[in-house]
Amino acid sequence: MKTPLKNALLGATALLLIGAGNARAQVGLTSNVATVALTATKNATLSVTPTASVATLASITDGSNVNDFGPVSLTTAWNLTAGSSVRLVGWFATPAQALANGTDYIPSSKVEGRVGATAYAPFTGAPVGAVGVAGGSLQLFSQSVGAGTRFGSRTDQLDLRLDLTGTTTLAGDYTGTLNLQAIVQ
Amino acid sequence: MPLYKYRLGLLALSALHALGAQELSAQAQIISLAAANPGQLIVTVHSGAVQNLTGVTDNAVNDFPAPVVINTDWNVQQNQTNTMNLVAYFTLPAQAMVGGTTQIPSSRLLGRMTTGIPAAFTAFTQNGLGGVGTAGGSLQLFAVNITNANKKDNRTDNLDLRLNLVGFPPLAAGAYAGVLNIRAVTQ
Repeated sequence: MKTPLKNALLGATALLLIGAGNARAQVGLTSNVATVALTATKNATLSVTPTASVATLASITDGSNVNDFGPVSLTTAWNLTAGSSVRLVGWFATPAQALANGTDYIPSSKVEGRVGATAYAPFTGAPVGAVGVAGGSLQLFSQSVGAGTRFGSRTDQLDLRLDLTGTTTLAGDYTGTLNLQAIVQ
Repeated sequence: MPLYKYRLGLLALSALHALGAQELSAQAQIISLAAANPGQLIVTVHSGAVQNLTGVTDNAVNDFPAPVVINTDWNVQQNQTNTMNLVAYFTLPAQAMVGGTTQIPSSRLLGRMTTGIPAAFTAFTQNGLGGVGTAGGSLQLFAVNITNANKKDNRTDNLDLRLNLVGFPPLAAGAYAGVLNIRAVTQ
């Protein structure tokens, strides 16, 4: 075979091989990697849910602290990102008129509450943080929270009573509203 | 004088002939030229590259507020490429989004491209394609047959994203972050 012809064939073969190489390269060709940054935020929550919205004392006994309302079960749930304690506060908007029968009032100092086996205490305390009313509040519990416990709940039985020791009331129906609110501190 | 010059020329030609001189040429050499354009794929996120979903609701479907607008630009050889594919994937499917010690798997993240393959919301649980993506954490967004007419082309698509927490344990409050990768590959 003459040399020029041989070289021409070699060149053509080389071109074919290059072409075949390109064919392989085109399959599986990839682009740059574009990215999308995703962020989903779960907001902090804090809730108090009583199982009943009404507590009733059928018959008041004057001069006695044996005036128990029916117990109320309430669940406090929290899902927090910060804070060291969850506190539950009960309070009356107008301490001097916690319960009213027309113009006859029972002040919050005569209303007592407790959670669990703690001792009864009157609603005469100060607000906790921004929750409550001066002289008409009672902290019912304080639960420590931290890493690993910022997402939780608890259910408590709230006992309420009137301490009418040394007090006489006029006959009639006395009604009032106890506010329950939790706060993180 | 002119006769002298003529004789001198004849003498030169005769001498060359006598030496056997011919017209000279070198051996022909060839240089094969080859220039290959390897092809080009470019994926660009026009908008929605940062997705913020605020106020996640437990046990519910949560849609990211805005679509991811993706432009795919390609320049390939028609006779060497069958399809152009776009794949989105999470590097670690079990940890598509992470917040604290809580991990949200890619099975809880869904994508929809009404102009592509997942016309309805579909979980990122597919396998990779052509070496792109991760097993169980990918979603093929589109596949385009390559012809002579579209061997150099581009398209823009919207990718909608969703976080499905139906049946998922309630999330602790906080931020959950992740990165979705998007890449084109030829087949």
